[in-house]
Amino acid sequence: MKVSFVGNFGARPEVANTILAKVTEKIEPTILFDIGDTQRLIPALADAEIVVSHIWKSDFPEAPNLKFLQSPAAGLDLIDLPSLPHGVDVCNVVGHEQAIAEYVLMTMLALSHKLIDIAIAFRDRSSWAGGGAGGGPLHGELLGKTIGIIGYGKIGREVAKRAVAFGCKVIAVNRSPISDKGEAAEVCPLGELDHVLPQCDVVVITAGLGPETRGLIDARRFGLMKPSALLINIGRALILDEEALYNALRDKVIAGAAIDVWWRYPNPAEPNARPSNFAFHELPNILMTPHCSSATDGARDRRLGSIATNLDRYVRGEKLANVVLTT
Amino acid sequence: MKALFLGGVAADTYAGIKDELPAGLDNVVLNDPVDRALLPEAVAGADILVSNRWLAEYPPPTFRLVQSVATGVDLFDMAALPKGCAVCNSFGHETAIAEYAVMAMLALHHRFFQIAGEFRDHGSWATSWVQSGTPHGEVRGTTLGIVGYGRVGREVARRAAPFGCRVLAANRSPRDADPGVDRVYPLAALDEMLPLCDTVALCTALGPETTGLIDARRLNLMKPSAFLINIARGPVVDEDALYAALQSDRLGGAAIDVWWQYPSPNEPNRRGSRHPFHTLPNVIVTPHNSGWTAGMVRRRWDEIADNIARFCRGDPLINLVTTV
Repeated sequence: MKVSFVGNFGARPEVANTILAKVTEKIEPTILFDIGDTQRLIPALADAEIVVSHIWKSDFPEAPNLKFLQSPAAGLDLIDLPSLPHGVDVCNVVGHEQAIAEYVLMTMLALSHKLIDIAIAFRDRSSWAGGGAGGGPLHGELLGKTIGIIGYGKIGREVAKRAVAFGCKVIAVNRSPISDKGEAAEVCPLGELDHVLPQCDVVVITAGLGPETRGLIDARRFGLMKPSALLINIGRALILDEEALYNALRDKVIAGAAIDVWWRYPNPAEPNARPSNFAFHELPNILMTPHCSSATDGARDRRLGSIATNLDRYVRGEKLANVVLTT
Repeated sequence: MKALFLGGVAADTYAGIKDELPAGLDNVVLNDPVDRALLPEAVAGADILVSNRWLAEYPPPTFRLVQSVATGVDLFDMAALPKGCAVCNSFGHETAIAEYAVMAMLALHHRFFQIAGEFRDHGSWATSWVQSGTPHGEVRGTTLGIVGYGRVGREVARRAAPFGCRVLAANRSPRDADPGVDRVYPLAALDEMLPLCDTVALCTALGPETTGLIDARRLNLMKPSAFLINIARGPVVDEDALYAALQSDRLGGAAIDVWWQYPSPNEPNRRGSRHPFHTLPNVIVTPHNSGWTAGMVRRRWDEIADNIARFCRGDPLINLVTTV
């Protein structure tokens, strides 16, 4: 069985080799990191029955034998579905949702408690302001707060489960109707977002990127949020209007944000590329992380293990897990 | 009936509850720094003290209720209080501190300060999946040991359990394990619990059994990857031993909110320790403010106002620690 690991995620040595070490059935792997290397991409796709890749471009060469495309990521937004042959099972991975939920709770707490500001002022200047011993302003807490979760899938549900243990009320918003509310007090359709936003102390974006969510949070919707509201985005950057977020934070339309997903990513020529055209790193009220909310040791083990299991399933002719769609 | 509000926190408390206090109560406020010259007159005939301390060298008091503005009453010299005086403490902080403990646990396992700091300051993507970064930790599947299973410890357990942590606890007096808690050890069996923990959260009061509880020997019982969170009192931990363990990477890291020394009016920016904990990269330091939220202050003020009203009416008190 020919399997091609393609692109700068699936063909990364620590990804491909870890998966291969866990696969028990017999497969013939091809590993191609650089998708710009057309000479090698042509045979890699021509022969493969299985491809492991987070990306599929419209100009990719023919893949006549492809039956199963396994993404090593959760989002399929870099896979150009119309370019795939007919009848391909496209699978994503899960196992990152617990790690991301931890990140969401961590940043929600850190923003509310002003952890970074207080800890840095104490570290650098031994400032006791903000402390019981030194007086100063009080910080916030999560108890009794209303959390809006936009996108009530696996990640959103894991966030809800943890948030209610902090005494929070959860309102979830989802594109498609949901019968099982889980830990949420209410689940609203996406069309009611404008009624939900003004109620929220924290808005968490856990949605995928799609036509309904692209540019979802724009300047008008920031205006609907409380001035004390916090925004956390672990979905995709393009769900937010970049300039509107920058203005909302700079002008204190909302109180703060934690952002893990970005509009610009690094490349070999610019490994320390700033993640936006706007100088978010100069704003005091944003926590910024480099798309690493899911990059935990546990999530890596769960995800790579689940890919290996799925490859074994295919070889054995068993039903695949995490099939998002069949082309 | 006369009440003395002594010190900065008590003065803030007075400002927050003055409209709720019983009519006819004679209230005297002495803010920090306390002017010793004014103290004898302020103390004279006072029935109620609201403060975080009472020192032996203060004038002899006539208090019948001492209402602490904090939970710890270790700064009250009980021998200097009149016999029969009720000493009450105050709460409302336990949920806020529990939030801090879980936040610190997450931040330490996720290496949040290093990652967010590098990204903001240098645009470094080194921890990102797009740059093949080294994964950081998560709390799911780790073991949390809570030392001191009282009000704060219980609230920590309740919040940590849904993360998929295994929760253990140790307590001086026997306690039942709540749902989500695997086992409550007696404090005497702490040495059995410590080697199992990936995170140890100190939530105990300071007393004879807990002073110096976490010493060099016990730090050595912990995993080298383990994190220590102290939201109890500084002296629960041996200052020298903790610094040595952190500096030599004998311990994974720490979040320290409570200190061995505190600022004074003469030295407002005094460091919390004689050791430079703040220079260690694996340590999160905060200025004894884990519970210092707007919500906590309101809850605590309401409790204190309620207790003063109870005392004036002759009703049973809440949060009675001891009667001298």
